[in-house]
Amino acid sequence: MAGKGYKRMLHDRIFGVLILLATGLSFGFSASAAQDQPRRFERRIEATRPPLTAFHSTQAINLPTAETLGRGEWQFEIAHRFLPAVSEGSDAFWGLDGPVNMRLGLGFAPLDQLLVTIARSNFMNNWDLQAKLRVLEQQAGPLPLLLAVQGGVAWSSEVPERDSGDPGNFQYYGQLILNTLVADRLAVGIVPSYLYNVLLDRIDPVQDLFWGFHGQLFLTDIFSVAAEWSVGGNGAELEHDAGSFGLELETGGHFFKVFLTNSVRLNPSQFLVGTDLPFEPDEWRLGFAITRLLHF
Amino acid sequence: MRRKSHLGFSSTLLLAGVVAGAGAFVPLEGQEYRVDLERENRIRFVSDAPLEDFEGVTDRIDGFLFLEGEGLGGETDLTSSEFYFEVDLASLDTGIGLRNRHMRNNYLETDEFPFTSFAGRVTGLTQESPGRFQAIAGGTFSVHGIERERSIGCSAEAMGADLRVRCAFQVVLSDHDIPIPKLMFMKIDEVMELDLDFFLSPADGGEGL
Repeated sequence: MAGKGYKRMLHDRIFGVLILLATGLSFGFSASAAQDQPRRFERRIEATRPPLTAFHSTQAINLPTAETLGRGEWQFEIAHRFLPAVSEGSDAFWGLDGPVNMRLGLGFAPLDQLLVTIARSNFMNNWDLQAKLRVLEQQAGPLPLLLAVQGGVAWSSEVPERDSGDPGNFQYYGQLILNTLVADRLAVGIVPSYLYNVLLDRIDPVQDLFWGFHGQLFLTDIFSVAAEWSVGGNGAELEHDAGSFGLELETGGHFFKVFLTNSVRLNPSQFLVGTDLPFEPDEWRLGFAITRLLHF
Repeated sequence: MRRKSHLGFSSTLLLAGVVAGAGAFVPLEGQEYRVDLERENRIRFVSDAPLEDFEGVTDRIDGFLFLEGEGLGGETDLTSSEFYFEVDLASLDTGIGLRNRHMRNNYLETDEFPFTSFAGRVTGLTQESPGRFQAIAGGTFSVHGIERERSIGCSAEAMGADLRVRCAFQVVLSDHDIPIPKLMFMKIDEVMELDLDFFLSPADGGEGL
């Protein structure tokens, strides 16, 4: 009997503790809920879903990415390609003595999905006007899928033995840009490009299709390494494919890119046609690009 | 008998639990205001940086204010007051998309902590003039998953049945484990200035003041 009584008492106490625990949890839960989201509150705005991104800047090195700017943003760009090879060493200060090909560009985004850029390269005094439209932004399973189209017209006013306004000095191009991001760290893309009037020194304009490939590995929140390769088409282009690789630092409003390349051409209609230089260490040139994002 | 006693003891506890639990949900008479999502609400932070100051703005704030009794301008027991406000951090716009992304991904980590919130009660309320009030809001301010007890001064102005609320306070980033970029081009002040300017409307079409 004493054993049974003890058991019952124990049972009572355990049961009581459980009830008290349940009561306490009830209070605890309501208190906790009140702190995070009170009972009286019913959420009416959901968290904003940020736009998908793969590459962070609007171009990897030379090849465009599917990235555009926010509506109303401006982008100023200055880029150099040093003509002496890095292999010339201290005599040419590893290329920095110059001379250089340079590009100045100014872009504006009238819409989140549309970026219009005008740029000038001193190589043949090439003026380039382009528009990039981001047409698709989709999460395909674990991978974001970004698609943009870009088209542009280029005018080179300093083509040897031609008037500046000669129709043969104009080039037209269209590019399809497909990007994705693997494991939140590796952006990869493919850029098939069509160019009309491939080489300006030809009497009859020829057209060609080029394939660009680019990748960028984001090592930290601000440092990344990038590489790209552009493959020529039907032989109308220059002898060698253009390749580049280098580092990128991004801040809240800038991109700083430093890289090695076998191409010293900067504007799209010039870069796409390839290069006279083989992709060999002795022929690598130093290049850089700095972009500044502005909002007025 | 013992069996009855057992049930009686358990039932009493159960009843106590139910009553106590239910007591937490007994509605109190009073005035409730909710953020008017249709108005021009504006949440703004300002950051000092060596090269340039910048600000981030959003209108995506939601929440409520409950005052027991007659509410604002009348008899009210502030100890029974309650408020909760939250802001959608991923919607903050600094004017530059890249900077927005850095802010979201690198510092506020909005994937994990999408909202900042302030929950508590009104601890002080004075009427400065008809329709104008100064209030002290005390409670838990949470951002980046780190909670801090804060006391914030706000003004409230009656606009018909609505209230326009303005608050200004500072947030020390390190208090909330928000990293501060060290690079020259990215460096920002550790202290962020916050300005809130938003509208409250009586809940369920109430009369307000």
